[in-house]
Amino acid sequence: MKQWLFLLLLFAPILGFADDSKLTELLAHIRQTGPAQYQYQETRQLELATSPWQGQGIMLTDGNGSLVKLQLQPTRVIMAITNDSMIYWDPEQDQRHTMPIDYAGPAAAQILVFRSILQGRAEELQPNYNFVAEQHDKHWTLRLTPKAEHSDDQTAAIEISGDGDDQQRRIIIRQADGESTEYHIDKALPKQAEAYSIPQLLQEATGE
Amino acid sequence: MSFVWRKRWFLMLLPLLLALTVWQIRVESDLNAFFTATDDEDSRLLSGLLQSGELSRRYLLVVEANADKPDDHTNMLANFSAQLVQGLAKLDGVEQVWPANQPPRDWIDAVTTYAPYHARLFSLNPAQDGVTLFDPLRLLAQAEGLKQALLSPQGGFVKTIAKQDPLLLSLNGFKGLQAQFAQQSPISAAGGAIILQSQPPALDSAAHQQLQSAIHATFDALNANAGGGFHLAMAGVPVFSVAAHSEISRDVTLVSVVSSVGVVLVFLLLFRSFIALHWIMMIQAAAFLVGTLATSLAFESVHSLTLALGASLIGICVDYPMHVMIHSAKHRHTPLAAVQLLWPSLFMGGLTTVVGYIALGLTGFPGFEQIAVFALFSIATSLALTRWVLPALLVNVSMQVAHLPGIAGWVAFCGRRRKLLLSVFAAAVVLSLLVLPQLRWMDDMQKLAMDMDFIKQQDQAVRAHFSSIEPGRFVLIQADDFETALQRSEAAERRLQQLKQAGVLSEYHGLFPWLVSQALQAENMQTYQQDITPQFRQAWLDALTAAGLSTEKLGTLLPASSQPLNPETVLASSVRHILSGQLLQGQQGVSFAIWLGDHDAVKLSEGLQGLAGTRYFSQKDQLDHLAAQYRDRSLRMLAIGIGIMALLIWLQQRNLRRMLLTLVPALAAVLFIFATWAVIGEEISFLHVIGLLLAISLCVDYGIFFMDNRGRDSNVTYHAIASSTLTTLASFGALGLGKTPTLPILALSVSLGVTVGFLLCPLLIPKTTK
Repeated sequence: MKQWLFLLLLFAPILGFADDSKLTELLAHIRQTGPAQYQYQETRQLELATSPWQGQGIMLTDGNGSLVKLQLQPTRVIMAITNDSMIYWDPEQDQRHTMPIDYAGPAAAQILVFRSILQGRAEELQPNYNFVAEQHDKHWTLRLTPKAEHSDDQTAAIEISGDGDDQQRRIIIRQADGESTEYHIDKALPKQAEAYSIPQLLQEATGE
Repeated sequence: MSFVWRKRWFLMLLPLLLALTVWQIRVESDLNAFFTATDDEDSRLLSGLLQSGELSRRYLLVVEANADKPDDHTNMLANFSAQLVQGLAKLDGVEQVWPANQPPRDWIDAVTTYAPYHARLFSLNPAQDGVTLFDPLRLLAQAEGLKQALLSPQGGFVKTIAKQDPLLLSLNGFKGLQAQFAQQSPISAAGGAIILQSQPPALDSAAHQQLQSAIHATFDALNANAGGGFHLAMAGVPVFSVAAHSEISRDVTLVSVVSSVGVVLVFLLLFRSFIALHWIMMIQAAAFLVGTLATSLAFESVHSLTLALGASLIGICVDYPMHVMIHSAKHRHTPLAAVQLLWPSLFMGGLTTVVGYIALGLTGFPGFEQIAVFALFSIATSLALTRWVLPALLVNVSMQVAHLPGIAGWVAFCGRRRKLLLSVFAAAVVLSLLVLPQLRWMDDMQKLAMDMDFIKQQDQAVRAHFSSIEPGRFVLIQADDFETALQRSEAAERRLQQLKQAGVLSEYHGLFPWLVSQALQAENMQTYQQDITPQFRQAWLDALTAAGLSTEKLGTLLPASSQPLNPETVLASSVRHILSGQLLQGQQGVSFAIWLGDHDAVKLSEGLQGLAGTRYFSQKDQLDHLAAQYRDRSLRMLAIGIGIMALLIWLQQRNLRRMLLTLVPALAAVLFIFATWAVIGEEISFLHVIGLLLAISLCVDYGIFFMDNRGRDSNVTYHAIASSTLTTLASFGALGLGKTPTLPILALSVSLGVTVGFLLCPLLIPKTTK
């Protein structure tokens, strides 16, 4: 049975990515669809901040390629990708944006990368990234580094890591300007999963 | 020169003339060039805006999911529109294309370049806004806001600015820009509303026709891939321009063909001779070619409407040879003898017609200047060829002329019942004079515009999805130099802010802070230096610390830049493109436009009073003003034209009574037509007056021929006049088929004028004996 990359990372024993065939096998596994919900903790290192900023919330994906990141702490913010549009809604700052992903530019870059990782859209990352896999005992790391021809200021380096026998995984996205975002992700609790749905959150985000 | 050589020369020169004309001619279809005068400052401004104004070159596109398609097409709209934007950007003639809900990327990039000048341009009212902006109590919230902005999708943009302008002062002036994109319809919010800035001038209909085809082709290709679930609607000045061009082209073809066919049929009905027709048409072709060539040489190009109206001149120019042929046939004279006999009348008739057309050209309506030149050369050519070439062409042509029923009867009836008819005529004159004050003048030039209801409805439907900025009404700022103009513009924007708060207007697009006067920069800088006190700096550091932001990178509030932001520097950047619709070209001094959203024109005009070099400008009002100006000039020209014609006739006749009798049928015809329009409530435009001016110049010919009666046979003379009337009706009547309102109005005025004038000739001019 095929698996999501995320599910693979969570449940499949990671035996190593010592060669291209293993990597290819892994990438083949990530071509999956299906709805899923995760809880996350986000830590951002901003160039202009003295201390890391931390947030937490829920991420929801579905088989149509939609991804909704609902930040619950410290304030409620919704950022979503659906049907190749990016939607942003910050009720506290009263900021609402909807734009085609192609037009969103750097603003959408991070969440696009995130979707590719969560939904196993490796083919979206392959043109821009070199994939390197490492394993030390049960701990594994998948590093995505920008290819030389794409290493402009906008392209982030990505590191996905985890242990074979626990369900928590870590994703680090490092911007070229030194800023970074680190996510700790694990499966949402059943209560959390029931509380939110993609259509409801999209409706809230678009204000319709 | 012998007749043989005259004929040879004519036949040799005609193809050369044709070749020369084809080589020289450049046909213009730009409506603006025909309809808008450029003899004063405002007219030039209007003309320039219509020609190449930024907003005039803008297409508004709306993509919507078809109602019969499943919901997923609605969801796919954003993606489809994004693909369409990318596809359209590659087309020739496209300057820029962007979704209406997002500023173009170069606008955003341009905003970041203002950060170093933040202390010089943070407010239009620095002293007033400084109280809030530099309130230490707000700094904690401001630092928190900055942090949230850095965390938002716009974080990269905000970071670039914050490093140079930690208080984000430079963004304060651009809040209005953000508001422009915040007002969105659902379609616009979903990305379905797209703005396309084209390169060709708005009224270059050929280029825009090509571009519109390319836009549709791009859309169709993408739509086919998407399963045909979308439809496209388009609006903008170029859409009207292309539609109008298509209608005018149709009018030109229709009028030219029907007019020519009409004249040919009348000729054949009268003379039943294809040989004679062939020679007469060659003379008319020569007259038309000379008119076209002369117009082409006198102006840069010949407007297609000039050619359409010029085609109607065939009906006038053909009169001269026809008079000769009728007299020649009826009196069994040779064509040479007939033309020698009639020449003084022909010459005077042609002269008065030319006077009419010259008066027409002086009404200020730019298109009619071309027609006047065209008429002058066409009529002169036709007259000259009639005098010197026609006898050579008709030397072996046997001519018979058909009898027109009722002509002799009407002449006889007028002779028998003269007293009764004159009494009726006198009563009609009195009644006409009494009703003249009821004449209604057309004060809305839009009524002369082409009827394009479907496009107008589509335009309104499309515009509903966009910002309410109107392309035709704006605040005009004028000054001798750039700095003064900027100061005046800033004063106007301050006033507009007040009017906006008062609900007089919904929005406006000014120049601030893209361009800021040196005076306002100094004022901003002074407020900044005063308010950035050591206490304020400390409060900012505390706020940054509390928000967890770097005091090292954001804590230094630099003194204001010693270098001012110069307009030259700004306009050398991409901002020039952003402001190109507001920096008005071709004026003396400097002119700016502040574009307006929905507004109350009267209250806005009042609100701007007292501001130097600032006024409300409305394209529609300007056009209406032009209409009134044209009307007054056309009335003046009507009077002057009649005066000159009277003088010419008097110089020929040296008899006041004969001069008055010659003129009176034409004048009475005009009086009766004006009175009829007054009674039926027809709104009179300058075109009506111009039509009557032409009718007078033609009717006066009838008076001259009838009065001179050189054949000493009133029936023959009246027969010839009747033939002229028929050809004039055939050619000018064809104008009535045009959809361009100008043409039917001229058709009605001239046709009524010549018909009534023709009927009055035997009544008002005593019959001369054989």
